[in-house]
Amino acid sequence: MPAQGGHDNVTMNKIKLLFVMLAWAFAMPAMAAIDTIAVDVGISVFKLMPIGIVPFEEEGKIKWANEAPHVILKRDANLSGRFEAVPSDKFDLVLFSKKRARQYVSGSATKLSNGKIKLDCYLYAAETKDVLLGESYTVKPHEVRQAIHSFFDKVVYRLFGERGVASTKLAYVSKIDGVKQVVISDYDGFSRRQITRDSSINMMPVWQKDNKGLVYVNFRHNRPNLYAISFGGKETPLFTQFSQTFSPAVNPKTGELLFSVTENGKTEIYRGDMKKGTAQKFLHLKSNQVSPSWSPFASEVLFTSDRGGSPQVYAVGNDGTDVRRITFMGHYNERASWSPEGDRIVYTSMDDGKMNIYTCALDGTDITQLTSNAGNNEHPTWSPDGKLIAFASDRGGNYQIYIMRKDGSGVTRITNGTENTSPTWSWFFGEKKFK
Amino acid sequence: MKKMVKWSLMLVAVGLLAWGCSKDKPETDPNPKTAPEQPADSTLNLDALVADTLSADSLARLEAERLEAERARLEEMINRIMSDDVYFDYDRSELTEKAKVLLAQVAEILINENRFVVIIEGHTDARGTEDYNISLGARRSMAVREFLIAYGVDGKRLVPVSYGKERPKVQGTDESAYSMNRRAHFRVIIE
Repeated sequence: MPAQGGHDNVTMNKIKLLFVMLAWAFAMPAMAAIDTIAVDVGISVFKLMPIGIVPFEEEGKIKWANEAPHVILKRDANLSGRFEAVPSDKFDLVLFSKKRARQYVSGSATKLSNGKIKLDCYLYAAETKDVLLGESYTVKPHEVRQAIHSFFDKVVYRLFGERGVASTKLAYVSKIDGVKQVVISDYDGFSRRQITRDSSINMMPVWQKDNKGLVYVNFRHNRPNLYAISFGGKETPLFTQFSQTFSPAVNPKTGELLFSVTENGKTEIYRGDMKKGTAQKFLHLKSNQVSPSWSPFASEVLFTSDRGGSPQVYAVGNDGTDVRRITFMGHYNERASWSPEGDRIVYTSMDDGKMNIYTCALDGTDITQLTSNAGNNEHPTWSPDGKLIAFASDRGGNYQIYIMRKDGSGVTRITNGTENTSPTWSWFFGEKKFK
Repeated sequence: MKKMVKWSLMLVAVGLLAWGCSKDKPETDPNPKTAPEQPADSTLNLDALVADTLSADSLARLEAERLEAERARLEEMINRIMSDDVYFDYDRSELTEKAKVLLAQVAEILINENRFVVIIEGHTDARGTEDYNISLGARRSMAVREFLIAYGVDGKRLVPVSYGKERPKVQGTDESAYSMNRRAHFRVIIE
């Protein structure tokens, strides 16, 4: 090498420069790609925001109805898909700094003479102890949970500028005395309430627009039929002009219903007005169609058809035109549901008789398996903020409801007891007023 | 079948007669006109013969016995229809050869006994979603219905319904349980 002349040296330098430029040229898109991925997977474990949780100061001995406020807050934080709780017995700046918790929540609770509890809830900046958010609630002991959920949603809004789901609910099917009944509960599985009391089969609950009630399937006439029930009101049979109806899906904008009708052995999707009782055929296809699901702004619809010989997910405009196939991998892709953020769908796929939950992009690419090696996993439903997915799994021996983040991490069981299946997440609720 | 009813009626008649005789009443006619080949008339004859002992109560009992025999006959037919389920292959709704043999027997019964309305329940095994399985069960009940119609049964008497995977016959998560649950089941309603 030393024998080579200066001219060569220049050449070498040029070559080196070329290499550097080339490397730079290649690295740029690669780095961009990595960036993009990091944004896409904005929900992965590494992106969770640590938040300190400190027990409330209690004035007078308070007997909590189920859990103390900081326990509820810790659960809300860990379930949210946004935070990672950093619990501490007291304010501990060293711990909060170490865990990178730049904010913490705490407060005080006072027992009032009329039996109510006054909750003062605060979000603080850890370093300065500045109050970022303060809320006060005076509630009956059994309303403490709701109040704390309400506060936590305000914390989410203060730090993310988005609505949280701590005050939302789930509808699902619970086996009670051997009969499948529709129940509702808070999104974390607490405060369960039985909605149906019929002795046949009750299933497929979905929320009406504005969470006014539910639509579900009942078998009291020895066939599947849709019913609507309003909370605190009565039950009404729907679309009785058809002999068998199921697979309800509520339009988030208008409240109208898409559902499956079986007549003469063929199952097709109809679009109906629940109040008027009228319905028209939504799709004119030779195949059977089930499991309709609206896009967030109701401009498009997902459904399952066996037109290709096996159940696969298709999309179609809300006028019933422009049918296109979305899933191609595997022989059984069913019950798709559109994410509230609009960018992905979640569905159940079956392989070797085992069901698992997948997501994919709207064109069917970028398939991500969210559950594996843990029994059957089915009936996924998005939280209204699109951060979480609730589903049913028999991984623990019998079917229970679980919540996970939209990337499949943070799986948490929220029900126990006998069989619980078919969760459907509510829409957002208006702010709760405590009297 | 009708013959059977007649025979049972006759037996009842003879039984009653014997009971009448055992009472110490002198028999006026030593040669009762109960002709074995005309059991339908026997009631009448019996009336004439033992009018004094045969109260309205006994007649009612006789009628009850007749109804009971008829009921038992129908029940036996219903049991035959309901005991045999039609089984299907995985995720299929086409009838197997075995299923067609069974359905031909069911069709014969239905053609001979036109008071039956049959609910054809389509069921699936536990694999797959609730929604898809209801549509699969619907196709199975329909395949059975279409076969029976083709055989000559009036379609108005065949009501298809689907239970999807909601009513398994056998609990379990292996093929032996699955194969028993992929079925069409009959329920009979007498009009």
